[in-house]
Amino acid sequence: MASPSTSAVTERRGIPGASFVEDVQQYLAQLGLDVNSALVFLQERLQQYKLVEMKLLAQQRDLQAKIPDIEKCLDIVATLQAKKETGEDACTEALIADFEVSEGIYSRARIEDSSSVCLWLGANVMLEYSCDEANALLQKNLENAKASLEVLVTDLQFLRDQVTITQVTIARVYNWDVHQRRIKQATAASSKDT
Amino acid sequence: MQQGGGSETEVTWEDQQNINKFGRLNNRLHELQDEIKISKEANESLEDAGNELILTDDEVIRFQIGEVFAHMPKEEVEERIEQMKKTTSKNLEKLEEEKNSVLAQMAELKKILYGKFKDSINLEDD
Repeated sequence: MASPSTSAVTERRGIPGASFVEDVQQYLAQLGLDVNSALVFLQERLQQYKLVEMKLLAQQRDLQAKIPDIEKCLDIVATLQAKKETGEDACTEALIADFEVSEGIYSRARIEDSSSVCLWLGANVMLEYSCDEANALLQKNLENAKASLEVLVTDLQFLRDQVTITQVTIARVYNWDVHQRRIKQATAASSKDT
Repeated sequence: MQQGGGSETEVTWEDQQNINKFGRLNNRLHELQDEIKISKEANESLEDAGNELILTDDEVIRFQIGEVFAHMPKEEVEERIEQMKKTTSKNLEKLEEEKNSVLAQMAELKKILYGKFKDSINLEDD
């Protein structure tokens, strides 16, 4: 299914694609560079890719930390809702919870009214929502986070492919050069003998 | 991952794609190994918690939800822990399955790539 073309995607979301080299000699002629300059150019490309990779990895770590947080919030809202439901037919027992007041110091809280929660939206803003609204909002945030993570992972895969292609190209250019030198030495040695 | 010899074996686009795929699989393998380790530790913690529950006399247990410890009756805590154990075990199974599939694919690719490039390529974990 994959077409045997010379190179795949030329770039993806700002990341330049590394073009695959069919023939090293042609490639060097195309670039108009000698071997050393070509190697320097390719090494620079590799460094740029590494920088982008660091950035993407940091973003991935942030998202991977955010997702369990959202899931914990959903858990609490679900617990409050369940408490409210059982509270309607049984005796309305408040939810007692121990929470951290400061590092190492805990206090007991009595949560009576479970019909609404306050959600921290960031930027020093906190809003009160009904349990259902809070659930919907948190679910949406969770889905967005998971979707962003997927896109990020695909970006990283693309990037790593380009890094691999560049590394292989560097090895091949270097080997071609070594090979050329050997041929030259061999012809020079044989012409000396004759 | 790669090292060059001085050979002149040509690298085709298909070879490059195989090398890329191997790289991706190798990365995924390391990620899976980390995830499996975390999942196993979570399973063990849940086991320990379950055992503690059996031993304790308390009727009300403080169960951690998010950042707070909610007071819950023992039975409910037992149920929750059972539920969590089931989820983590299923997750662990899925991860192990994926890991085996990745290892199989990597073995296939190793055969193909070593077959063509022999000593010119190094596909081992350093």
